[in-house]
Amino acid sequence: MVAESSMVCHECDLLVEVPRLEIRQKAYCPRCNYLLAANRPYAKRVVFAFATSGLLFLVLANAFPFLGFSAKGQERTVTLLQSVGILVTENLPLLAAVVFASIIAIPAMFLISIIYVSFSLANERSYPGTRKTLRWAVLLLPWSMAEIFLIGILVSFTKIVTIADVALGASFWSYVLFTICITVVVLHLDKRELWEHVELLRHD
Amino acid sequence: MTEVMQISAMEQGLQGCPICTSVGSAEKTHCNRCGSKLHAGWANSIQHTWAWLATSVVLYLPANFLPITYTRFLGKETESTILGGVVTLWEHGSEPIAVIIFVASVLVPLSKMLVLAWLCLSVQFGSNFLLPQKTRLYRITEFVGRWSMIDVFVVSILVALIQLGNVMTILPGVAALAFAAMVVTTMLAALAFDPRLLWVSADKGDRV
Repeated sequence: MVAESSMVCHECDLLVEVPRLEIRQKAYCPRCNYLLAANRPYAKRVVFAFATSGLLFLVLANAFPFLGFSAKGQERTVTLLQSVGILVTENLPLLAAVVFASIIAIPAMFLISIIYVSFSLANERSYPGTRKTLRWAVLLLPWSMAEIFLIGILVSFTKIVTIADVALGASFWSYVLFTICITVVVLHLDKRELWEHVELLRHD
Repeated sequence: MTEVMQISAMEQGLQGCPICTSVGSAEKTHCNRCGSKLHAGWANSIQHTWAWLATSVVLYLPANFLPITYTRFLGKETESTILGGVVTLWEHGSEPIAVIIFVASVLVPLSKMLVLAWLCLSVQFGSNFLLPQKTRLYRITEFVGRWSMIDVFVVSILVALIQLGNVMTILPGVAALAFAAMVVTTMLAALAFDPRLLWVSADKGDRV
């Protein structure tokens, strides 16, 4: 039978026995060098703290002016949601849906799922749907594109600055902080360890 | 390197869950631990990848040949395609940005499609040529694919900000939607592809 500690490399299908990792140790696949598992210091606390702050920054990013623009004596300020909404009024509701999902909805759902699972682990009891929630968080992750959106904003600025002045609103900075938080969460998530802890709750 | 150590899970009748990393029988269609759907049949992965790839190739054409934005400047309307936008940026002296957009919008999607097609073919022909490199190539492809969305976000920001009536307005074109759909379908193609097949088919030395 397979040992509890074994893992199949996601990249090359090698069956690997992963030893118990000390703090700051990482396990790589001996055949293809894929990162299998990592034990980062205070990972669970870091994940919970940054997921909560990230969600808060995302809420703030929707509460204030996002970007401002002025040219030829005219001024315009938009919120984050307005900038998505304009795609609906310009007859591309599907595009608006893709943008809204990838920069707001999916990252938010990811963070909420992670917070829920963290609560469950911190209180050492399995809340309803903990496993389903964790599964969704992992599935959603590649579709969260906050960091790509930020780069997109910077690129569009270089197009605009030649013809107009751009102002960065409070919400823009909140969005930057939100992106940093979600990146820290992703870096500290260890699928294998998280699932092992969730599994232990079920058996208790 | 000892040969004994290098046995794939597939050969031992096992498979790992991509969502929760638990190991179970290769015949299971759903994971024991987390209930996720597993790669149900090994042949399906290649078929799904081909299907998503074909869809993305079809979307790639309107994404590149139809206008992605319409610019209304002092009552005059001009349209621009993705490549047209890159050329304009270059001519206005923003060479680095032009390069970023060219790489993210043209080079990455195109090379992603070619790489996935090559990987599918090498699984189908059971090739054991450059296996570790091909695995790494797949990993890179999976990682960079999302970054093609940059252009979609650039368009949505430009459209959101530049709305000054007849003085200057930018409107989105259908190509933006086609392009976004193309990025999504290439991502789905990469997700459908199972890189373990590269090793399994090479081990067997013939087609799967």
